[in-house]
Amino acid sequence: MTDLTNTVNTADRAEVADTASRDRRGASSIRMQGLRKQFGRDAIALAGVDLDIKAGEFFTLLGPSGCGKTTLLRILAGLEEADDGQLTIGGKDVIDMPPHRRSVNTVFQSYALFPHLSVRDNLAFGLRMRGEPAAERNRKVAEVAEFIKLGPLVERRVDQLSGGQKQRIALARALVCEPDVLLLDEPLSALDAGLRGQLQVELQRLQKRLGMTFVFVTHDQDEAMVMSDRIAVLDSGIIQQVGTPREVYEHPANAFVARFMGHDNLFAITASEDNWVDTGLGRLQLDPAEQRDAPDGWLLIRPETLELGGNIPADYNRLEGTVEERLYRGSRIEYRLTVNDHPLTAVAGNLGQRMHDVGDRVTIGLCPEDLVRVAA
Amino acid sequence: MRKRTLKRSSLRRALTAFWWLTLIFLYLPLAVVVLFSFNAANSAARLTGFSLRWYHQLLGNEQIIEAFGNTLILAICSSVIALAIGCLIGYGMYRHRHRKLGWLIVLIYLPIVLPDIVFGISEMAFFVQFHRLTGLLQPGLGTMVIAHVTFQIPFVALIVYSRFVGLDPSLFEAAKDLYATPLKRVIHFMLPTLKPALISAFFLSFTLSVDDFVISFFTAGPESATLPIYIWSAIKKGVTPEINAIATLMIGAVALAAMISLVFNRQRKV
Repeated sequence: MTDLTNTVNTADRAEVADTASRDRRGASSIRMQGLRKQFGRDAIALAGVDLDIKAGEFFTLLGPSGCGKTTLLRILAGLEEADDGQLTIGGKDVIDMPPHRRSVNTVFQSYALFPHLSVRDNLAFGLRMRGEPAAERNRKVAEVAEFIKLGPLVERRVDQLSGGQKQRIALARALVCEPDVLLLDEPLSALDAGLRGQLQVELQRLQKRLGMTFVFVTHDQDEAMVMSDRIAVLDSGIIQQVGTPREVYEHPANAFVARFMGHDNLFAITASEDNWVDTGLGRLQLDPAEQRDAPDGWLLIRPETLELGGNIPADYNRLEGTVEERLYRGSRIEYRLTVNDHPLTAVAGNLGQRMHDVGDRVTIGLCPEDLVRVAA
Repeated sequence: MRKRTLKRSSLRRALTAFWWLTLIFLYLPLAVVVLFSFNAANSAARLTGFSLRWYHQLLGNEQIIEAFGNTLILAICSSVIALAIGCLIGYGMYRHRHRKLGWLIVLIYLPIVLPDIVFGISEMAFFVQFHRLTGLLQPGLGTMVIAHVTFQIPFVALIVYSRFVGLDPSLFEAAKDLYATPLKRVIHFMLPTLKPALISAFFLSFTLSVDDFVISFFTAGPESATLPIYIWSAIKKGVTPEINAIATLMIGAVALAAMISLVFNRQRKV
């Protein structure tokens, strides 16, 4: 906890937490090699996972339910044993180490606060099990309560807490142990949207201040993008892509990642030559950097890059479409169009411009640099 | 509208009457026993005045004191042993609840549904044979403790199991995650969490043991009469007010134990 306070003081005083605390002694890197896990005869949870997580990184495992992200987190915690593979945390081989000996703590989805203990005793549980003297324990618990701003909650019983309060206490209970790595298993999924958004920001700030390695599991791509330094997208026990939120969103490695990140505008490429591709929309010109030898795969058009009507620059691809639906979302306007019988979604920021009406024929401009080829 | 309210209220009145009738049917015989235990006269028909004479007489009766002692020893020993074994079984059932172990649980519960007389006779036959072959386990308090433990175990196991099932499974993992070794998990997580269930199970077992006559009767030895056995042999000579006094004390003790069991079993909200 001394480390924790020092970090906070530094952060408050100089506001240089971002870079300074990154190199904090306690933060550990994680290396996974060929991790495999199978449940029963044919339920493969992890089909060989290789992954490096840097010290002090906010790393998110993202994927649909059943993709193996929770299994991977549980293997990191030691709550699940891998069938095969290597795992080191902070350079130490921990694959055969039981959970109670790993310097790793978890914030559980259900929070898992002990009902027979008060909030204070819940916070002290890990320190007590590790055999720290009472005086030390009390000091650390008081510090973490101050740090997470628990205030009078410490005196409450667990059954007197709201969901958001339980979440913060579960977080404090894990942080007070000063683990090398903090694991978070969808800790925000049980909260309502407003509180959730607020806690996303708080959690991310907290991680930056502590400089601790966080591994976060979620199925919500918006949450992942807001909070993470890097994201690993998983499907069927295989890592589909690892990258920064921007890389994963703007340059998805394959159609699965693209769809999972919320992209609708994916079009099968039927033929390609140099920097030209043929899709259901018609023939489109790409940036030369997107040139590939193989003709297969998909073309991704991000809906916010479409130009509707107005002055379309000469080097843009032009398409003619019809407005089928218009969804007014306040800060932006979403148009559902059809182009050559193919649906195409466009999103325009609401800058007070004239809106297109349902049934309007519009000219659509596509900048070649915004068109991305995505592997099948 | 008015007619309907009328109808409803008369239905409610009928149900209330039925409820009181049931209570009277259940508790009137007990009340009579309690009342006559304080009767001054040696009569089961006439109340002549209040007296504690039968309770005094009871305390002077060595046979009764011995039977009382046997009942207590039997109830406490069997309940403690049943608690220890039932607790392990309950935990085992919880741990392996995902496996197809239904048949095993049926095996454990068979003693509950078996008629006491069948159970008692089987136990007796077993102990007699066992004693003949090995010279061990002469009928007496020892065999009675074993017999009582066997019928108490399923109740303990069920209470412990249902307590565990009502818990968030990630609590077990949280304890592991927070540096608790297997032993510390038992001491600092499982036992404190189970405490109300264990107290409840202990008093339920205690009640079952004190209540039991049939199985005790078949497994007892010549020296190990319990209160129910004593009462049974005494009433062959006729119901004396002394018997009423014993019965009253037993009603009180069992009611208290059952109440404690109920109270602690209710405290299970998480």
